[in-house]
Amino acid sequence: MKEMPKKMKRSGLFLLASILLIFGIFGTIVFSVSQKISKEMSNSAIQNLSESLDLLESTIEAILRSEGEFQRLIAQEMAQAEDPEAYIRVYESNKTVAKLSLILSGETEGLSNTGERFTEDSLDFSAGGTVIGMQVSQSYLNYMGTWSYTIKCPIKRDGQEIGSLYAEYVYDAIDQSLPAGFYNKQATLYIMDAHSRRFVLKPKGMGQRNAGHLNLADFYRANNIQDPEIQAEVERCLSTGENVLFYHDIRAVRALNYMWSVNGGTIYLVGYVPVEAIQQEGRTVNQNIMVVVVSMLVAFFLCIALYYLNWWQQDKVRREREEERKLHSQQLAQALQAAQIASESKTTFLSNMSHDIRTPMNAVLGFTTLLDRDAENPVKVREYTKKITASGQHLLSLINDILDVSKIESGKVVLNLEEFALSDVISSVDAIIQPMAKAKHQQFYLEVTGIRHEYLVGDETRINQILINLLSNAVKYTPEGGQIWLRFIGLKQRSSQYEHIRIEVEDNGYGMTPEYLEIIFDAFTRAENSTTNKVQGTGLGMAITKSIVELMGGTIEVSSQVDQGTLFQVDLELRVLEQAPGRAPEPEPEETNILQGMRFLAAEDNEINAEILSELLSLEGASCEVVANGQLAVERFQEAAPGEFDAILMDVQMPVMNGHEASRAIRAMGREDAGRIPIIAMTANAFAEDEKAALDAGMDAHVAKPLNMELLKKVIRQHTGQK
Amino acid sequence: MSMNRWISAGLAVLTVLALTACGGQEDLKNLIPQDKEEERVVNLFSPMEKTDPNAENVARTASDLTVSIAEEALGVTMVYRTYTAENYQDKTYDEVCLDRARNNMDDLYLLNPDTVLALGAEGELMDLSGLDSAKNLREIVRTANTVDGKLVAIPQEVVAYGLFVNVDLFKQYGLDLPETPEDFLACCQVFQDNGIETPIGANRWWLETFVFAQAYADLYNGGNTQAEIDALNRGEARYSDYMRSGFEFLQTLIDRGYIDAERAAVSEAIEAEGPDFLAGKTPIVMAYWGAANTETAYGRTDFEMQVIGFPSSRGQMPVVPITGLAVGAKAEHREDAAKVLDIMVSDKALQIYSETNRVISPSKNVKVDCVPALRPLNNRIEEGIYVLGSNAGMNVEQWGNTCLIVRELLNGATVDQCMAAFDKLQDDALNQS
Repeated sequence: MKEMPKKMKRSGLFLLASILLIFGIFGTIVFSVSQKISKEMSNSAIQNLSESLDLLESTIEAILRSEGEFQRLIAQEMAQAEDPEAYIRVYESNKTVAKLSLILSGETEGLSNTGERFTEDSLDFSAGGTVIGMQVSQSYLNYMGTWSYTIKCPIKRDGQEIGSLYAEYVYDAIDQSLPAGFYNKQATLYIMDAHSRRFVLKPKGMGQRNAGHLNLADFYRANNIQDPEIQAEVERCLSTGENVLFYHDIRAVRALNYMWSVNGGTIYLVGYVPVEAIQQEGRTVNQNIMVVVVSMLVAFFLCIALYYLNWWQQDKVRREREEERKLHSQQLAQALQAAQIASESKTTFLSNMSHDIRTPMNAVLGFTTLLDRDAENPVKVREYTKKITASGQHLLSLINDILDVSKIESGKVVLNLEEFALSDVISSVDAIIQPMAKAKHQQFYLEVTGIRHEYLVGDETRINQILINLLSNAVKYTPEGGQIWLRFIGLKQRSSQYEHIRIEVEDNGYGMTPEYLEIIFDAFTRAENSTTNKVQGTGLGMAITKSIVELMGGTIEVSSQVDQGTLFQVDLELRVLEQAPGRAPEPEPEETNILQGMRFLAAEDNEINAEILSELLSLEGASCEVVANGQLAVERFQEAAPGEFDAILMDVQMPVMNGHEASRAIRAMGREDAGRIPIIAMTANAFAEDEKAALDAGMDAHVAKPLNMELLKKVIRQHTGQK
Repeated sequence: MSMNRWISAGLAVLTVLALTACGGQEDLKNLIPQDKEEERVVNLFSPMEKTDPNAENVARTASDLTVSIAEEALGVTMVYRTYTAENYQDKTYDEVCLDRARNNMDDLYLLNPDTVLALGAEGELMDLSGLDSAKNLREIVRTANTVDGKLVAIPQEVVAYGLFVNVDLFKQYGLDLPETPEDFLACCQVFQDNGIETPIGANRWWLETFVFAQAYADLYNGGNTQAEIDALNRGEARYSDYMRSGFEFLQTLIDRGYIDAERAAVSEAIEAEGPDFLAGKTPIVMAYWGAANTETAYGRTDFEMQVIGFPSSRGQMPVVPITGLAVGAKAEHREDAAKVLDIMVSDKALQIYSETNRVISPSKNVKVDCVPALRPLNNRIEEGIYVLGSNAGMNVEQWGNTCLIVRELLNGATVDQCMAAFDKLQDDALNQS
């Protein structure tokens, strides 16, 4: 069993590790895929931007070329003209060519179409830039207040250079040919003069309003491009006419920055594009990938959750079954243990009983042997019969106890509720116990306090039984000279209908060990094994007592200390009888030989019992006709003349027809005396319920076996009218 | 059972969603949008400050807000064109403005006072007096921008110049803020005595404000303004007589080393003197109102800063040169430009502009609180005590010419030579008329 959790723990860890591994692999794949996508997107963005910039570059270069070609054409025309200066004078400036000037060969000063004198001094051709082989100047602010450049074209006539044509172009003209926006107007673009690093044009729709840039240094400062490596690389490329493209965040937005060479590096396209502007579709793809990944994760976790739920439910069922099985086997084990204990107890009990029954039986048989031998000696005969009687009485009490226990255990005990006077109970108990105590030189004290009602309803016999059991034990287990108390204490009534009584039986005797106190009320136990103890008893008394108390709805508790004494407390609630019963005490009839001359019909299947009955009755001067079963009794009574028998003594358990049936048959006869002839049950079935069954069968009274002649005489007197 | 039903329902929903996701169909129409409108554009030419990625330019932000209002209202797009001189050898913004306006390069121009007057006089600027927003203008603004009876420019703010002083340093040396030229010289002496060799940070543009404060303190605040201007325009009074004291004062500052003339002559505004002022090394600089609100200028200092008027016989004197937005008379998109301007200087737009930039509004209907540092200057203007740095009513342009003559002083010309230059300008003007 202890191996299981370890195993489960190990498998749980394995499962966790597996999940982590799967997630790890999944995460790595997703990461590498996203990295790859990101790299591809980056490459694609760079390619995309490069292509766009190439397009712009080509456009601007085409403009420059066409300007150059246009200028060359004019130069050719001027070469053909007789007076080139006249050609200049009539030329009108337009939006592309702001000024047209001519300096004839060998002169330092020439003429402009604006009418001013013109020299080359204001122009700087030192950077060495050309457009289709013609020199192009550095950018400058022209007379219109706008950035411009001048292309110098030689005028050749017949292979001889006769002068130079200077055409001033404004950058604004380039703006006309560029798209209205770049990357949905999110890109910033400037045209920069490579030599002076001045920004000479910000095409419309291609720049942040709040970031007007003066020159490259201002661009660096405004966009926080301070990395010396980047600046150095830009410098190198500017000097060689190469393109530069690098990532740099502009106001916390990831952007591709560029310096794109145009016309062999005389001018540059400078600016930046937020990466998102280039990768709009990339972002959508990424978002969709995220949606797919998240959906898969959700599905995965859903599957795990379902699996776990299923497992959890199955595990719950399994655990419940296991619990059930465990409980069941526990109950079985307990039952087995209880059965073993019961069996052991009963074995011990049987062994004890065997000893306890054999002891008086030994006395009975021993004394009958002695009786046989000393039959002639009346003194000895009387002594022996007295001892045989005592032993018989002891045997009887043993048998009664055993029967009581077995009845209580099988739940067959029924309380016989009657009206009774508490004082009767007390006096009868006192009458029994006082002599026993005296015999052992013990002091017996009786105290009654707080009892409000004397007449109560209850099973007087059973209450007596409780008291006698407790008190006889007290006498038994208290050494000579000890003290015994019996107290009746009236407790606070819980209902006015019931008297709440506490009965205390206390002694200062041997006491009991705590271990024994735990099992004192169990059946078949005794403080000492009867085979080793001189105190005789069935060991059933306390079990019977507790059962009766509980049957009456009461409680019994015990406290005891070895060599200090014992205290039993019995709490009972007995219904109060509001009016004292009006019955007068029955006068004790005088002891006369009331059976003299009476004639009985007896139904008894046991020959010895029949003989004893006949003998005992004849001793009393009565006669008796014995039949062997109920059937015969019925037939005999039918044959008998009216008044032939004074009463019928009816055994109950008989072959052919039992006593109850026979009584019913007799009562059912049409004879005049069938209903009134006294039928007295004489049976070994000695309990109250047996008595009740007998009365129900139509019998008049019930006398238990062994036969007590005094009792029989009393009953016969009551029912035959011989009073 | 119930659980199984839920799971089935969930799976059914997922299936439906999955099937829906697979749907959709291609549009077979021409994919190029057909309803492309002709874009209306207005070109605005304005100076552009050199930018700093970590600082906010509220003046620019304020202006952009009003541009957005106009763009939205009219459906036009404003295209920004800018120029800024790299150094003193470059053409100035004003020179470029003149060139561009004369050649009709742009539609809207942000012009300094001298170029307003020059271009207005040349008839290059549109008459804006018919605009709705023009009715809201303060009289001083209208007067300053009216040339030959035409309202040629409308500003978005009344630009006032003042002295930006480091109050902590003044307190440190137990100095009161100066009222008169004498006070000012005394303060500079104390600073110099305490190791601050050059107490005034200067550039090649704004030293003229000292001159205007002293020259015209009485003219504008003496109660006889128009008569005095008329006398000047008739040649009965000489500009040189007004200007002399201011130039002599500047000469004193230069002579005593309170100003580094050589450096100032080649320095751009704020760029040169700003860092030392912000670092607490220079106690005094001069600048325009908006510099106190702008992080790119003096909007955030580690010390207590106040903006006061220039020293004059009438106490601290603010100098107000009226700048403005103008529309090219022959501009390609002049009609749209005029509409855009009308909205940009409307009360609604100016309210936003003034609240954002915390400046004095040219509209008499718009008033906002200024930052604490500007209160001394604002209080004087509210009292009506100031001098104009430009006045279209004078026949000699003031703001640009004085600036150039001050540069000559910086470059070594004497005060007399400078006064001679004024006399020549006045004579030319008289001859022209």
